[in-house]
Amino acid sequence: MRLSLAGRRWGLSLLVVAALLLLLEGGWRWLEGRSQEPLFRVIVAGETLTLDAETHTDFQRDLTVLADEAQVRLAGRMTPWIEARLEGAFAPLEAAVPGYLEWYFSASGSYTRLGMALVGDLDGWLDEQLHARLVAPSGIEAALAELEADYATTLAREQRALMGDMAGTLHTRYVSRQATAEGDAEPPVLDLDVALRQSLDDGLDRSRWQLAAVGGGGLGLLAGRTVAARLGSTTVVQGSRLALRSLAARLASGATRALASGSTAAAVSAPTGPGALVAGSVTTAVTLAGIAGSEYALLKAQEALQRPAMQAQLHDEISRTRASLARRLEAATLGAARAMAERLSRASFHEREGETPEAYRILGGQGE
Amino acid sequence: MQKGKIARLGAWLWRHAHLLLTVAALLAWSRLASAWAVLLFLPVWVLATQLIVAGSLESARLRRRAWLGQYLREDSPWHRWLRGGALMVVRHQVVGALLALVLLVQLRLLPLVGWPLLLAGAVVLVGVDRELRRRLARHVIAEHLAAVSRRLLVPPVAGLLALGLVAAALWLPQPYLVGLGWEEAMLRHLPESDGGSLLGFLERLAGVVQTSQFWAMQNAVAHLKLGAPFALLGWVLLLLAQGAVAWAYVRVLVGAEALRRRRLRLPERAGLARCGEKLP
Repeated sequence: MRLSLAGRRWGLSLLVVAALLLLLEGGWRWLEGRSQEPLFRVIVAGETLTLDAETHTDFQRDLTVLADEAQVRLAGRMTPWIEARLEGAFAPLEAAVPGYLEWYFSASGSYTRLGMALVGDLDGWLDEQLHARLVAPSGIEAALAELEADYATTLAREQRALMGDMAGTLHTRYVSRQATAEGDAEPPVLDLDVALRQSLDDGLDRSRWQLAAVGGGGLGLLAGRTVAARLGSTTVVQGSRLALRSLAARLASGATRALASGSTAAAVSAPTGPGALVAGSVTTAVTLAGIAGSEYALLKAQEALQRPAMQAQLHDEISRTRASLARRLEAATLGAARAMAERLSRASFHEREGETPEAYRILGGQGE
Repeated sequence: MQKGKIARLGAWLWRHAHLLLTVAALLAWSRLASAWAVLLFLPVWVLATQLIVAGSLESARLRRRAWLGQYLREDSPWHRWLRGGALMVVRHQVVGALLALVLLVQLRLLPLVGWPLLLAGAVVLVGVDRELRRRLARHVIAEHLAAVSRRLLVPPVAGLLALGLVAAALWLPQPYLVGLGWEEAMLRHLPESDGGSLLGFLERLAGVVQTSQFWAMQNAVAHLKLGAPFALLGWVLLLLAQGAVAWAYVRVLVGAEALRRRRLRLPERAGLARCGEKLP
C-alpha cells in the first residue's frame, strides 16, 4: 500500500512533468516555426539577391574572409608600386651625389666652406648647400609631391578594383543560392555596394589622415627637408665639419697674432697717419693667406681620404630615407586597408543587428 | 575512539544521505555537457518536482489540518473529506514542476563558484533544522514537530541563501555591458547553447533574463541619468532570480528530508489519522 502510494506520487510527478514538457516543447516548436525562415536581401554588384538565413550567414562569413584577403592583397599590390615610384624618385638624387661631392671637394667649394667656417654659421649654410646643390637639382621634392598625389589615386583605384573583385566573387557565389521569397514580408536589405563604397571612402580618409599626421604638410616638402637634414647629419660630414671648425679656430688665433704683429710693425714704421693702418692690414692678410694655405693643404688631403666614405654614407642615407618613406606609405596603405575591412564588418554587423529581431535569436539558436 | 568517531561520522552521513544525494545529483546534472543534460533532463526534473511536492504537500496538509481543527468538531467526517485530495496534489505537482524547472535552468547557468554557497546552504539547513527541533520540542506536539520545524525552516534558510546568492552575483565578474544597447548586449553575450533542444531554449531564455539584469544594473550604475527605472528593473530581476533559485533549492532539500523521514517512520496517512484522535 505504501509502495503503491509512493509509486502513484512519482507517477503523478512524471505525468505532470511530461505534460509540461510536451506543452513547452509544443510552444517552443510553434514559436520556432513562426520565427523560421527569415529572409535577407543583399544588393551586390548592382543586383539584389534574396538569401535565407543559412546562406546569409555563409555570405557574411565569406564577406569577412574576403575583406581580410583584400587587406592583404591591397598591401601586396601597393608595395611594388610604391617601391617602383620611390626608386624613380630617388634615382636622380643618387645620381646627383657625385656632382655634389665634386663641388664639395672643389677649390671654390672648399674655400667658400672655409670662409663660412670663419664667419660662423657653417651648419645652416651647409644644409642650405645640400639642399641647393643636391636635393633641389635632383627634383626629388617635386617627384615626391607627385608621388603623394599619385599614391592617393592609385590607392583608390586599387581599392576600387579589389572591391569590384569582391562584389563579383560574392555575386557569382551566391546568385545561384537564392531563396524564393514568399509572403509579403519585406526582408531586411543589406546594400553591399553602398557598404563597399562607404568603406572605400573611409579607407581613403584614413590614409589621407595618416599621411597628414606624418608630414604636417605635403609629403614632398617633408621629404626634401628630411633628406637635407639627414644627409647633413652623416658622420663623415660631421667629421669634416669638426675639422673645418678646428681649423677656423686656429685661423682665428693666428689672425689675431698677425693683426697684433702687423699693428706693431706699423706702429714702429709710422707712428701716425693713415698709411700705418694700410700697411698693417696688408701684413695681416698675407699672414692669413699663408696660414690658410698650409692648413688647407692638410685639410684637402684629409678630405680626399674621406671622399669615398662620404659618398658611401650619402648613398646609405639616401636609401635609408627611401626605406623610411616606403615604410610610411605602406603603413598608410595598411591603415587604409584596415579601415576598409573594419567598415565592411561594421556594416554587416549593424545590418545583422538592426534587422534580426532579438526574439528570433533566442528561439532559433545561434545562426539566425 | 577513532573508530567511534568514524562510526559517528558514518551515522551522521547516513542520516543526511538523502540531502547529499540530492545535492550531488543536482550538481552533477548541472555540470553535464548539454547533450547528456538534455537526455537526463526529464528524470532530473521529475526527481526535483517530486521532492518539492513532498515538502510542499506536507506543509499544505499541516496548514489545512490546523485550519480544520480550528473550525470543525473533532468527530466531523469533514476532517477526512477536506483533508486535501487530488486537486491539492495536482496543484502542488504543477507548481512544483514549474519551480523545479526554474531551479534546474538557473542551476545550468550558475557558475561553479556558486556551488559552495549552495553546499553551505544545505549545511546551514541541517544545523537550523536541529536547532529548531531542539527549541520547539518543548512546545510542539511531538507528532508534528518535524513537519512544523521544516515549515518554519524554509523562509530563513531560503532568505539567507538568496542573500548569499545576490552577494555572489554582485561580486562575480559580469560581462561588460556599459554603453551597449540592450539588443547589442543580447547579441554579444547570450550563452552559446545548441538551439536544437527545449533545454537549450530555456537556457537561452534564462540567459536573456540574466543578461538583461546585468545590463540594467551596469547601465544604471554607470549612467546615473538613466536612473531609477533601470536600477529597479535590474534589482527586481536579480532578487527574483536569486530568490527563486534559493527558495526552490531549499524546498527541494526540505522535500527530500520530508520524504525520507516519512519513509523511515510511519506512513503519513496512518500518522495523521492517529494524530487526529490523540490530541492531548
